[in-house]
Amino acid sequence: MNFRGLFVYRGSSTASTEMLVGAGAFGVFFLAWYAIVAVGVVPERFLPYPDAVVKALWGMFANNNFIEDVGISVARVWGAFALSVIMAIPIGIWMGSYRIVGAAIEPVVDFIRYLPVPALIPLLIIWFGIGEASKIAVLWMGTFFQLVLLIADDSKRIPREYIEIGHTLGARPSQITRDIVFRSMLPNMVDNLRITLGWCWTWIIVAEIVASRSGIGHVIWSMRRFLKTPEIMAGILTVGVIGLATDQVIRLIARRMFRYL
Amino acid sequence: MTANPPFVRISGLSKVFDGNEAHDAIHVIDNVSLDIDAGEFIVFLGPSGCGKTTLMRVVGGLELATSGTVDLVGARVTGPDRHKGMVFQAYTSFPWLTVYQNILFGTKYRNDISTVEKAEIAHHYLELVGLSEYANFYVNRISGGMRQRVAIARTLAAGPDILLMDEPFGALDAQTREFLQVKLLEISRLEKKAVIFVTHDVEEAVFLADRIVMFSARPAKIVEILSIKDTISGQRSLETKETEEFFRLRNHVRNVMLSETNVMGLIGAPIGSGA
Repeated sequence: MNFRGLFVYRGSSTASTEMLVGAGAFGVFFLAWYAIVAVGVVPERFLPYPDAVVKALWGMFANNNFIEDVGISVARVWGAFALSVIMAIPIGIWMGSYRIVGAAIEPVVDFIRYLPVPALIPLLIIWFGIGEASKIAVLWMGTFFQLVLLIADDSKRIPREYIEIGHTLGARPSQITRDIVFRSMLPNMVDNLRITLGWCWTWIIVAEIVASRSGIGHVIWSMRRFLKTPEIMAGILTVGVIGLATDQVIRLIARRMFRYL
Repeated sequence: MTANPPFVRISGLSKVFDGNEAHDAIHVIDNVSLDIDAGEFIVFLGPSGCGKTTLMRVVGGLELATSGTVDLVGARVTGPDRHKGMVFQAYTSFPWLTVYQNILFGTKYRNDISTVEKAEIAHHYLELVGLSEYANFYVNRISGGMRQRVAIARTLAAGPDILLMDEPFGALDAQTREFLQVKLLEISRLEKKAVIFVTHDVEEAVFLADRIVMFSARPAKIVEILSIKDTISGQRSLETKETEEFFRLRNHVRNVMLSETNVMGLIGAPIGSGA
């Protein structure tokens, strides 16, 4: 435990100490929440006690088959995310490698990137219906165009000397891309993927609220009709917990993969 | 027709960087011709920004000449390949690989040798640069001087005909620099490879070179070619830097360089000119 370092300007601390601080902050958050409801600043109908939310969550899993909705949302997020990643990595690196590709694709991507995804949902529903395809399309629209630019930028940031070393060791461009560019940008890429995966959760809830008969977003939206605030908050909490857990797992994997950092 | 072409022949080489909206065209190399023998240690010396690095990069095939040609063992240089090995001033050893893996990477694209031979070569150069103890260290766990040794070993592992070094010790502290200068002389003696070494450090140039090629300020023209080998014969060590001949050569080179810098009006009278 190293508490002193926590209060030094740009100081450092140990992982376990920081974990303790993080858990403490969560504790404070819940206490404050509890206090606000107890004092009666906000009516309980609008802001229920934390334990009412937990109880609601338990009830949703026990009686309403909520696990199926969670599974459906997770599957949509990962399906669309995988599609974005599989397309963005090669296209992004390609954009960074040849100016002809970059110059041709960048303006188009930049244009689409600034279109608000919710505005596209009506169009995507007309094109793809209200089935799974339209959800995947919404998530893909919301992530691919951002991700491809991030990847292109990362690949351009490789030191020029790395590329020239590749040439003078006798590597062909495809080999330089595989063995030097890709490997060199990988840690940054994993960071970008982590951030992009978070956006997927924003878009899936939006998509499920607008047009869906299943998924966490659909559950949250239907509970609104009966003013079931605890259930709504339980749904939101579920998204937060899944996001936090996924993020930690990816960080852990990254730490193992990139021991050299 | 001569029977044997020179090892490296640079003839009538000029280089102009094209202008664009942001800047005018820059004339960096002006009609340079030079022959280099096999196994010769050549130092390109010149004021900062004079174009000596660009000339070396043209020899390495990393830049195209505007006019003139470079031939390596009788073959025209048209682009980079593993026969022209580069070592940069910036650290270029790959952080995701260990010291040994970095050196082995130098052999990765050779198809003239087997996997077993590649490992043997990597071990050979690992030992030659004195990093056997650090074989399994990631390169950001070792010092800058060690990283440059890794870079040199990796380049040698590719089996180049000539080693092109662009101020490789420029970012290192004085002690490490001297240590690596001695180490580099040892390596070049054992490997018998031609070296072009770019620097703006006069002492480094005199200590390392068989011949120093001195360049003018931009555009780079050859001002003087000085054979060091003729004056300082035999194996060099740090004591060489304390000898009379070394002082004399160093002062001569320094004066030539000072008057070249003076062309740009930056510095006063040359040393020992009595002014």
